[in-house]
Amino acid sequence: MKKFLALLLAGIMLLSFAACDKAPADNDDGDESKNEEVVDEAKETSMAVCLASEPDTIDPALNSAVDGATMVSHLFSGLAKWAQDKDGNLVIVADAAEELVEGVVNDDGTVTYTYTIKDGVKWSDGKAVTAADYVFAWQRAASTALGADYGYMFEVVDGYADIWETDDEDNFVNPDAKLNCKAVDEKTIEVTLANAVSYWNELLAFPTYFPVREDVVANENWAADASTYVCNGAYKIAEWEHNSVIVLEKNENYHDADAVKMDVIEFYLSDDSNNMLANFENGAWLLIDDVPTNEIANLKETYPEEFVVAGQIGTYYVNWNVNQNILPATSTLTGVEAEEAMAEIRSAIGLLYDRNYIVEEIGQAGQVPAPAFVAMGMTNPDGTEFYKTSGNSEEFDGYYDVSKEAIEDNFNAAVDVLKKYYTYDEASGKFTDFPTITYLYNTSDAHKLIGEYLQSALAAVGINMQLENQEWATFLNTRKDGGYTVARNGWLADYNDPICFLDMWTSVSGNNDVQYGKGAHKDLAMYDLDLTAQGYDIKVEDGTWAETYDVLIAEIKACTDTETRYELMHIAEDMLMATGAITPLYYYTDIYMVDDSVQGFFSNPLGYKYFMYCEIAE
Amino acid sequence: MNTKTMFYILKRILLALLTVWVVITITFFVTRLVPGGPFLGEKAISPAAMKALEAKYGLDKPVFEQYTTYLKDIVTEFDFGPSLKQRGRDVIDVIKDGMAISAELGLTAAFAALAVGIVFGAIAALNRNKFVDRVIMVITTAFVSMPSFIMGSLLLLVFAVKLQFFPANGSTADGLVLPIITLALYPMAYITRLTRSSMLEVLGQDYIRTAKAKGVSKAKIIFGHALKNSLIPVITYFGPMLAYIVTGSLVVEKIFAVPGIGRAFVNSITGRDYPLIMGTTIVLATLIVVMNLVSDILYKVVDPRIKFE
Repeated sequence: MKKFLALLLAGIMLLSFAACDKAPADNDDGDESKNEEVVDEAKETSMAVCLASEPDTIDPALNSAVDGATMVSHLFSGLAKWAQDKDGNLVIVADAAEELVEGVVNDDGTVTYTYTIKDGVKWSDGKAVTAADYVFAWQRAASTALGADYGYMFEVVDGYADIWETDDEDNFVNPDAKLNCKAVDEKTIEVTLANAVSYWNELLAFPTYFPVREDVVANENWAADASTYVCNGAYKIAEWEHNSVIVLEKNENYHDADAVKMDVIEFYLSDDSNNMLANFENGAWLLIDDVPTNEIANLKETYPEEFVVAGQIGTYYVNWNVNQNILPATSTLTGVEAEEAMAEIRSAIGLLYDRNYIVEEIGQAGQVPAPAFVAMGMTNPDGTEFYKTSGNSEEFDGYYDVSKEAIEDNFNAAVDVLKKYYTYDEASGKFTDFPTITYLYNTSDAHKLIGEYLQSALAAVGINMQLENQEWATFLNTRKDGGYTVARNGWLADYNDPICFLDMWTSVSGNNDVQYGKGAHKDLAMYDLDLTAQGYDIKVEDGTWAETYDVLIAEIKACTDTETRYELMHIAEDMLMATGAITPLYYYTDIYMVDDSVQGFFSNPLGYKYFMYCEIAE
Repeated sequence: MNTKTMFYILKRILLALLTVWVVITITFFVTRLVPGGPFLGEKAISPAAMKALEAKYGLDKPVFEQYTTYLKDIVTEFDFGPSLKQRGRDVIDVIKDGMAISAELGLTAAFAALAVGIVFGAIAALNRNKFVDRVIMVITTAFVSMPSFIMGSLLLLVFAVKLQFFPANGSTADGLVLPIITLALYPMAYITRLTRSSMLEVLGQDYIRTAKAKGVSKAKIIFGHALKNSLIPVITYFGPMLAYIVTGSLVVEKIFAVPGIGRAFVNSITGRDYPLIMGTTIVLATLIVVMNLVSDILYKVVDPRIKFE
């Protein structure tokens, strides 16, 4: 027994030392083989980057995440793509299509586009890409069977509405409906839009519009493994270690392979911003798409050239639940009168916040105080900022004056409005009968800091706002179902058209967190809509949300005249802002760090990053 | 092995199965009770699309029916189903990938901790209250009280960012060195202290004095009598520790971006990826139950006085 134990002990020790040695030993081998490769292909260039953790999917139709979209944009070639022109400006250019043609307007107002695929466009396995592949991919992405998050990107295509039409019990009415697009021959695609859409070319460059091949996606798990992943873009997947790294290598079958400069891109998968920063600082990763929030101020100073703040089309805002009563207990107002009062109260409360403090002291990443809901970066047809032409003020852009000078005036104006409804104690400068409200946010340091600021801003006038945080999935559920009074919210654009900030508020939308046209708000007949000045035969007085806002959004979607369409969209935003239920705080920015040796890198306003034309300076 | 032992082991195995079944049942129903669902996102899909997705994955059926189907699939076909979030991957593949790395990380750390811990513990005990003992005790106290996220961050900063001896990314081979050290330090320090105190106790026993009086050599006393008997508490600790270290390395996995099972587990919960939550829970629960069983049986091997009942 003694000997046995002594042996056991010795064995354990030996084993553990062997195990200790194992990792480095493995590594030595690995390093040697890598070195050999480098010698063999001395010219090969490669770069390692990290955007986020393992993407949920890199099936172009199913992906709805920014990091996934970046990868998919490297792997697939749609009819159009984002590129940089000679002056460094972002443009949408033809990719697999020979050219981005103009549409032909049909008698019924629909618009037909006919595209020809370039010669020599091939899949990564060498087969030719045909028009039928695109048509198949589009039908698949828009289908109810796939149920893709971004299926609605095909909303503009004729036939989409039929596919998704449901009866009262959410059953689909037209199971055989299809998008109005077809392959005329091997190389010609014909697609008909329900009406003219200014951002159509941008949609063609959107991942959901990228082609996939029927026999490839017949295997439902095709997009989760390097060996089954067939694509037609600048790169193909060489290796995929799940949750660890996705290695892309140049696709020799890409039709524009000569223009691709970077041979290998390694997308490391990590969700820890501290770890990302460590890998950036020791030079392993040349670009990281996230940094620790509390390091931002420090990093801006240490890496002035490499810490990048880029524009991103999105709004961080706070929203109210229109079905929650915030009137004092003594109030006798009900129904329409109560909602009119609350709209005024909510708007007034929106004036109490100092947006400059939020972006400068909390955000610290170049965010811009938001005076309107539709985000900065959205442009009018003439190229001017949409938010700068919204609202009715001569003195400032948007619906609030967000300049530092206006803070005091805003505060006083808000207090004057609130005095109409609540008891004000002049001595303390506080309201005494504002009911206690709760602010709901999802667990995160940044959201918490903003919540605490909002809380303190309201406490200054005697409004007691408690903070409640919920974990992400629970939060989404609560907010969607209206189980809150005030909630944190944010929205990032999918394409450069204000409609994507406006159609989410119809009474049937799944993103209508404010609960417009739902619950008690459904029956409130208090909204006006007068489109006679725009040449429509629509004039509603004291209509419900569904009778006014929903109608307006439907008209915007059907409108073929760009000028009128933008006028209507401004009217829609006016309606939203008049409810006071949406309080924009700031416009998002995209922050990332990129090593200064990287040249030829660019990103687009949706936050997608492009590495194919990168070169590494010595 | 006599029949009593066999019977005991069989009983324990049945109990273990029962435990795992209880864990499955509770987890299954609790995850369904938590608000939120796998198909919720910042950008909501339409109710009709939601309905279609739920039908596709059988989530539209009554919860109890889902439960029985699930049990049937794992028992008859060992089928854990597809991941709802990582579209296109099966739960079993996600677990295999994660487990391979977590096991490598955990086993290496555990055996390193054991080897170093026992040696230093014995040294400390034999040099009681001398300088060496004091140093070992101070260091181990520091390691026991320092949480792994501090230790991990510290090692990351010094050895990966400043000195650049090792990569900061745990998905490369030598990237595992720092996570292993981080993970091993706490149990190593704990085992050192455990071995020391247990050995001190043993060294004070009558039979050690008898052995000394008989003139048995010092080495023989230490390795033949003292060390062997002082390892019982270490064995008690080792089983659960191994399970803990393999399953509980989440913090370390996060700091060093190691693609282990801990990360998959936490992400599955935040994403309400029901099949993946179930799969990882079953694997981790089984591991803990098995480790406890093994350490109970090892007891008997080390100490014949312990009886199986």
